Amino acid sequence: MLSRAAGDFYWMGRYFERAEHTARLLDRHLAHLVDRPVDVLAHGWRILYAALGQPPPISPTETGNAEAFLVPDAFALAAHLIEDTENHDSIIQSWTKARENAKQLRPWLPVRVWTCLNDGFLWLQNCNFTEYWGQGPNRLPAGVVDRLRHLSGVIKARMSRDNAWRFFELGRFVERLQLQTALLQAWSCPSNKKSQIWAGLLHVCAAYEAYCRTYSMMIQPEQALAFLIANPEIPYSLSFSIRSVQLLLSGIDPAGGRHPRRAPHRHALRLAAAIETNSQASADEADTRDFLEDFAEDCRTLHDRIIAEYIHYSLEQGLPS
Amino acid sequence: MDTLETATTSVPDKLNTTAHMSFDRVRSSVVGPAVAGEGGFAHYSMESRFRDEMFHGDGTLRPAAQQLGTAFNNATSEQLMQLHDGVRRQFLHEGITFTVIGKKEVTEQIIPIDCVPRVLTDSEWDHIDQGLRQRLHALNLFLKDIYHEGWSLRDGIVPHELVLGCPQYRMEMLDTKVPHDIYVSVCGTDIVRTHDGFSVLEDNLRVPSGVSYMLACRAAIKQAMPRLYRAHNVREVLPYPGQLYSQLASLATWTQRPRIAVLTPGRYSSAYYEHAFLAGEMGAELVEGRDMVVHDGLVYMRTVSGLKRVDVIYRRVNDEFLDPVTFRSDSLLGVPGLFHAYRMGNVIIANAPGTGVADDKALYAYVPKLIRYFLSEEPILSNVETYLCRTTEGLTYTLENLDRLVVKEVGGSGGYGMLVGPHASAKEKRDFSKRLRSDPANFISQPTLALSRAPCFVGGKIVPRHVDVRPFVLRGRKETWVAPGGLCRVALRQGSLVVNSSQGGGCKDLWIINENERSA
Repeated sequence: MLSRAAGDFYWMGRYFERAEHTARLLDRHLAHLVDRPVDVLAHGWRILYAALGQPPPISPTETGNAEAFLVPDAFALAAHLIEDTENHDSIIQSWTKARENAKQLRPWLPVRVWTCLNDGFLWLQNCNFTEYWGQGPNRLPAGVVDRLRHLSGVIKARMSRDNAWRFFELGRFVERLQLQTALLQAWSCPSNKKSQIWAGLLHVCAAYEAYCRTYSMMIQPEQALAFLIANPEIPYSLSFSIRSVQLLLSGIDPAGGRHPRRAPHRHALRLAAAIETNSQASADEADTRDFLEDFAEDCRTLHDRIIAEYIHYSLEQGLPS
Repeated sequence: MDTLETATTSVPDKLNTTAHMSFDRVRSSVVGPAVAGEGGFAHYSMESRFRDEMFHGDGTLRPAAQQLGTAFNNATSEQLMQLHDGVRRQFLHEGITFTVIGKKEVTEQIIPIDCVPRVLTDSEWDHIDQGLRQRLHALNLFLKDIYHEGWSLRDGIVPHELVLGCPQYRMEMLDTKVPHDIYVSVCGTDIVRTHDGFSVLEDNLRVPSGVSYMLACRAAIKQAMPRLYRAHNVREVLPYPGQLYSQLASLATWTQRPRIAVLTPGRYSSAYYEHAFLAGEMGAELVEGRDMVVHDGLVYMRTVSGLKRVDVIYRRVNDEFLDPVTFRSDSLLGVPGLFHAYRMGNVIIANAPGTGVADDKALYAYVPKLIRYFLSEEPILSNVETYLCRTTEGLTYTLENLDRLVVKEVGGSGGYGMLVGPHASAKEKRDFSKRLRSDPANFISQPTLALSRAPCFVGGKIVPRHVDVRPFVLRGRKETWVAPGGLCRVALRQGSLVVNSSQGGGCKDLWIINENERSA
C-alpha cells in the first residue's frame, strides 16, 4: 500500500476518534445540565477541557455565580467544541479533516463508506446548532456519536481487512490511547474525588455496567482508574487499545509480527508490558499519575515511530533488497 | 425515479404514433403543452437557426427521441423536479466535484448535472467513431514525425515556426523512442453540431478530463430512470476504466502484470475527483510526485512495505511539471529523474510528453491536411473554419469581424482567455483588439457557431440550451477503442455558448441508441 495513502488512512482514523471522543464527552456532560449543581458542572467543564487538551474560550461559571449564567455558558462552550471552525479540535473541524483525508483516499474507499462519511459531514455542516440545542442540549453530540458509529459499522461491513483498514484502525487506537490517557490524567487530579464524577467517567468510557458487575455501584476512584487502565475487555481502556494496536501492527508487518519485529511493534509491546507492570504493583495515587504521564509521552513516541517506519522512511531504507 | 417511471409506463405501446400525435398539434415557434397541465415542454421555444437535438424544426420529435421526449412531456413539473433533485443529490452525496481556484480561495463545486439525456443514433455515432479513430491515428503519426524525421515540416504541410515555436513543443522529446510509437493513449475531442453536421472544435491530447463525469452522469441517470434507460437499449460506457487499464497495460511489454499509477498534482487539482475515480476503478495507485523516486533508471513508489517499481504512469500533470530535472526546476509536482527513466524505456508515460503541440489551437487548422498527408484519406470529421491571427490576412479579417467571431488563445483552455464577439461589449472588443495586435501569433479566431441545442431542466422547466460532446478515445499497443458515448457538456446559462464547467456549464448523459433495436 502506498505510504501516503496509509498515512491518510491513519490520520482519518485519528480524526474520527477525536470527533467521537469529544462528542461522547459532551453528550454525557450536557445530558446533566439540568440535574447537577453549578459547581459540579463548572468543574466538569474544566476537566472536560483539560481532557481535550484545550483552554476553554470563556471561563466556565464559578461556584457561587447565578444559575442563570450556567446555560449560556454551556451553550457557548458546547458550540465552541462542536461547530466552531476556528477551534482546530472541534468536532466539525475533526470531521472536515477526516473528510479531506478521505477525499485523497477515494480509490481505496468503498463508495458506500465515502457517501456515509460525506453525508454525515454535510449533515453536521448544515445543522442548526441553536435549533438542536432547543430540542435538548445533548441532542447534537448524541447525533454525532450515532452518525460516527453508523459510519464505523459501514466501514466494518464494507472494507476488506487489508492494510487500508489496518492503518485506519491503527490511527483510531493510537488516538484513543492518547485521548484516554489525557482523560484519565485530567480525572485523576487530587481534587476530583466525588464518586458521581467518576461514575460519569465510567459511563463516558462505556465501562459503568462492567465496573458495577466487577466491583459494586459504590465507585472507588482508584479502583475505577485502575479498571480503565488495565481491564482488557473495556473498549476504551488503555489495555484494550494497546492490544488492538499490537494486533494491527502484526498484520501490517510483512513478517506478520514475528521476529525481528519493527520499531513501532516493539514499542507497542513495551507499552503493553508497562500497563501490566503498573496493574500488578500496588501503586498509590501519585505513582499512577506518574505512570500516566510517562505513558502519554510513550504514546507520542509510538505515533512518531509509526510515521517514521511506514510513512516517511529514507530511500535507502525502502529499496528492494 | 418512480414518479417519472410511472409517467413513462403509462405511455401506450405504440409510442411513436402517440408522441407524434402529441407534438403534431404544435406548428408554431413554440412547442406547446402537448398534454394538459404544467411540466413537459410547455416552455420550450424553437429557433430555426439552431439545430435541436430532440425536435425537428416543426416541433415534432425526432424518431430517436420519441420515447424519451414523450416521457418528459407527460411528466408533471413535480415529477421533473423530483427527478432533477434525485440526480443532483446523487452527485452531491458522492462528492462528484470540480475545484475552482479563485484569486482568494479554493472552492469545491458540485458539477451541475441535467436530468434530460441527449440522444444520438448509432449511425450518427459510428460516423463520429470513425472520424475520431482516423484523427487520432494521424495525430500520433504527426507527433512521431515532428520528433524524428520531420517530413511534414520539410514538405510544408505545417509551417516550421508553428511547431517549433509552440510552447508545448518539447525539444527533450527529439529522437526519444516512444514505446510502440503511441504518443497519445488517451484523447478527448470536443465535437459540436450545427445544421451542417458534426465538426471537431478541438482536440485534447495532453491530459483530457471529464470521463469520470461521463460515467457518473450515466450511473445517476440509470438509477433515476431505470426503465426508460432499459427500454432504449443504450450503448454502455461503463467499460471505460477496464479499457483504459488494458490499453495502458498493453504498452508495458516487459511484464505480465504491470503496476499502473495515476499521477495527480494533488487534491487541489480541479480534476482531482476524476484522478481518484479512475485510479479506484482501475485498481491503480493514485500517486503524487512525492510518492515516487527514481533509482538506477527505474521508477519506484513508496509503499508501507518499501519501494515498489512502477511500470506505467497515467499522468494527469502537465509536461512542464513532470520532472524538475528536465523541465521546470521549481516543480514540486513531478519526480526528479522521471524523464531519464522514460528515455531509457523503463517506464511508460501516457500521454507522452510533448503531445500538447498537436492540440495547439493554431495547429488544429492543419489537422485535415495532416490526415490527407499521413493517411491519404479525406477527413471524416470536418474542422471549424479557423483564421490564424499569426498571418496578416487572418489578423486583418479577425479585427474587421470581431463582432461575429470567437477569438481564442492558442494555448488557452477551460473557456478562459476567449472573446465571444456577438456577446462582448464594445470595451471588451477594444481591449481584445489591443491584445490581438500586440501578440497576434497567440490567437486564432473562428466563426461563432450555431451550436445545437438540447432540452435541459433549468429553473423548474424544460428549456433549450447549447451542447457539445467530448468523446474519449483510447489507443493501446494493438487497438483503438472509442467509448460509445461521451461527456455531453451544456451551457446552462441562457444564450451562452460556453459549456465549460468553470464558466457555468454542466453536463448531461448522452445515449447512443440503436433505432431499430429499441425495446418497447
